[in-house]
Amino acid sequence: MSDVLEAHGIAMTFRNGDELTEVLKGVELALQSGELAALLGASGSGKSTLLSIIGLLLRPSAGSITIAGQRVDALSEAERARFRNQRLGFIFQFHHLLPDFTATENVAFPAAAPAGRMTEAMRQRARALLDRVGLADRMDFPATRLSGGQKQRVAIARALMNSPALILADEPTGSLDRVAAEKVLDLMREVNREDKATFLICTHDEHVAARCSRRILVKDGRVETQNGAKST
Amino acid sequence: MFALVVARRYLFSNPAQTVLLIAGVALGVTAFVFITALIEGLAIRLTDDITANSAHVSLEQEVRVARVLPGPAADVQSVALVSTFQRRQIRAWAPIVALLRSQPLVSAVSPQISGSAFLVKGEAVAPLAVTAVDQSALDAIFPITTKIISGDADLGADGLLIGAQLAENLGLSAGQTVLLRTDRGEDRLLTVRGTFRTGLLNLDERVVFLSIRTARPLFRLPEGVTNIEVKLHDPGRAREFAAFLHEATGLRATSWQERNTNLEGALIAQARTGILIQIFSLISVLIGIASALSLSANRRRGEIGIMGAFGVARRFIAAVFVLQGLLIGVVGAGIGCLTGFALCSWLETLTKADGTMVLPIAPGEGGYVAVFVLTTIGAVLASVIPARSAARLDPLEAIQQ
Repeated sequence: MSDVLEAHGIAMTFRNGDELTEVLKGVELALQSGELAALLGASGSGKSTLLSIIGLLLRPSAGSITIAGQRVDALSEAERARFRNQRLGFIFQFHHLLPDFTATENVAFPAAAPAGRMTEAMRQRARALLDRVGLADRMDFPATRLSGGQKQRVAIARALMNSPALILADEPTGSLDRVAAEKVLDLMREVNREDKATFLICTHDEHVAARCSRRILVKDGRVETQNGAKST
Repeated sequence: MFALVVARRYLFSNPAQTVLLIAGVALGVTAFVFITALIEGLAIRLTDDITANSAHVSLEQEVRVARVLPGPAADVQSVALVSTFQRRQIRAWAPIVALLRSQPLVSAVSPQISGSAFLVKGEAVAPLAVTAVDQSALDAIFPITTKIISGDADLGADGLLIGAQLAENLGLSAGQTVLLRTDRGEDRLLTVRGTFRTGLLNLDERVVFLSIRTARPLFRLPEGVTNIEVKLHDPGRAREFAAFLHEATGLRATSWQERNTNLEGALIAQARTGILIQIFSLISVLIGIASALSLSANRRRGEIGIMGAFGVARRFIAAVFVLQGLLIGVVGAGIGCLTGFALCSWLETLTKADGTMVLPIAPGEGGYVAVFVLTTIGAVLASVIPARSAARLDPLEAIQQ
């Protein structure tokens, strides 16, 4: 029994006119709490689609998903949104920070928006997280005045704001130079190690995958190997 | 309210665009205020011109008409003829005047004898409308005293006030005597005590004033009056007051609106035209808001997508855009009302050489509350389309773009 994620028989078929494209063909995947897993695969292998399905941004054609002990594949749109807000964290290739807000406000946003206000407690947690990711001196900087690496670190802090059960990262270093990418990767490893946060990092970069504790290879719509073990 | 904080940040993030947007709304509201104040001002001027110089309600006996009477035999009918020589009159006019004076709506009452006559000066004969009033009520309906250009307004026992045009036509001047012949065939020599010029040709050429006491034998009315003219504090209530008077006295009561149905029709048509212009100016404002917010929603697809990914509720995202519309509407309408009032107040000060206004504008009648409320509600409604489109944005699609 996995602590954080259990995905069974995940299938995804896209329709393009009369043509049906089967992207995922019955994926089986499990993640344990505290894992730092890399989801590898060539372009078009279906790894991003799988990440989106696990992130409840896309509904699978078939299969079941359980995250943190809760079946989530049959939830309504509003319930999925609430679950994403409370139990999942996202880091995207492009940080997508809100340019009109400071670093602190960006980090606190996922907590403030559902609450309808930004409390002092939220600000303090956001500041603590920014301190955690090494941006103590950039807390009140507008997002537009941060470098690419700093923005991605703010995005990591934002993903941690609501203490998610699972953090999903889609090519988190894809838009960064080598030095900034290393720093971001080190940070995610550190957060994983020290905070026991569970990461699933979608990447095509072998270097990123090599820094993760587990490799999950997606090939032709199926999970081929999990740490070398054959999977259906 | 955090959505309001986000909405405000969005508006402040692009000050130039926001200022232009608010300026557009303010301009539309200014146009609305100007049109409303102009149309209301014109209506007020036309109404004032009429109500200031005429009675608001006229009381007189019902018109007598010939009736067909059934005959004793089934196939015989006869007609009850009405004597056209018998003058219609209000015999018990004193209690009616007392009743009128007790009404708080009434500002002035003038019992009168009105009739037709001729002024004869040598070979010249001029047809007239005679208005006979008490000296004390001479100015009750029309401020004739202020229009006297020669002589004075003292009617006396045999005095006559005539218009300047009539005086010119007959070669008369103050102090001269002239023969008045009424439609009852009575003649009397009267003295022209004064001449007046109102600027209204109909009055200046056709109307003469004399006292009721002088008029009684001339029109063979020893007791009664032909009509009672009434002025009200609020001419707009003339119609309802006329209905009340008819009910209370049994006399025919005619409001100034009934006597000027053409004017009323013109004012209604003018008001409708104004409403059309107001609607178009509001629509242009609302289209401006909707298109600007749609552009903003499109420009912020990535941000909206990330909000959706983080599970921010759709209603929060929609609220951000609706609140932007609300802020734009409130600020734009507020500024528009102020600039509209300032514009109308300035136009009100512009006068022609004769002292009259260049534009008959009424700055106080700009419809400020209506345009403020309509613009604010409209701005919110206009923001619903971009708000819905933003709220429905698929987070994954938006992020991937």
